[in-house]
Amino acid sequence: MKFAEFKAPKGVIKVELELKHDTISRISLSGDFFMYPEDALERLERALVGVKAERGSLLAAVQRFYSSTGARTPMMGPEHWVEAVLRAAKL
Amino acid sequence: MANEWRLLPLRIDDAFTSMAIDEALLKLNAEDKSPNTIRFWRWLPSTISIGCFQNVEHEVDLEVAKKYGVDVVRRITGGGAVFHDYYGELTYGVVCKQGDVPDDIIESYRLICGGLVRGLERLGLQAEFKPVNDVQVNGKKISGSAQTRRWGSVLQHGTILISPDVRLMFELLKVSPEKISDKFIASVYERVTSVERELGRKPTFDEVRAAMVDGFADALDADFVEGELAQEELGLAEQIELKYASKEWLRER
Repeated sequence: MKFAEFKAPKGVIKVELELKHDTISRISLSGDFFMYPEDALERLERALVGVKAERGSLLAAVQRFYSSTGARTPMMGPEHWVEAVLRAAKL
Repeated sequence: MANEWRLLPLRIDDAFTSMAIDEALLKLNAEDKSPNTIRFWRWLPSTISIGCFQNVEHEVDLEVAKKYGVDVVRRITGGGAVFHDYYGELTYGVVCKQGDVPDDIIESYRLICGGLVRGLERLGLQAEFKPVNDVQVNGKKISGSAQTRRWGSVLQHGTILISPDVRLMFELLKVSPEKISDKFIASVYERVTSVERELGRKPTFDEVRAAMVDGFADALDADFVEGELAQEELGLAEQIELKYASKEWLRER
């Protein structure tokens, strides 16, 4: 299990993940951010499983998550999740 | 028509009761069974509340909490871990219809936190809203809030730091041990303040509450009518309380 923290402009994202051949097989996100509605976070985790731990693929998956759920994260955007996940994946 | 809200008396409860009352009010407000409500309370025993997205093992030293008899509870709102010191902290809660606040999240925080800003002004301090969810005095955080929107209603609750025990707070929160140095504590004093520190005296809880009541009435342009919790609200809270007291909920993430 890999673990990393990333400090976004507002809030810290903590990532625990497992990789299989560079692809996310398990991921758990936590931290002191806000997400509306709250249950969207589980959907973000599900949206990241099976995604290659590489910037382009991650960004596309997170952007798809935002547009399909309409989730809102004040002062946080797709790039912050991507950064946090990449940090954990590189460890 | 006047914008009438219910104002509840100051309560002192344990963490699980307080969180359950908040959720019951939110749910019943959404069902048109509870009016828009503002309330203030203290936590007995002192409690660490964690945000709904936080992992308790990451944030709280549970052994230290046990040692000091401090409860730990997960909120239904996001944001960070807060130390609710029975002797040095007052919490507010606001429940209203979603239509009574701006749809924009930061603007809705600005409106409700405006009550804190005006309340602090009544105490003689100059305060300002700091997006997303903080209120500052002299550039230092004095209050933090957290909000959720469910079923068509909004719950926002938050902490008002009156005279917190900062050293105990950082013993309870998982800040790496090497960080809990005098230097680290000093850096906290540069970023966080309290009503006592800014005023140069410790006001009573009633005094702070009274100032905040006026501040919120002003900011929300509301007429507060003193009232009590209804039996239905207390009954629902009693059911919900079991969730907050459970290990499963505490360790949900």
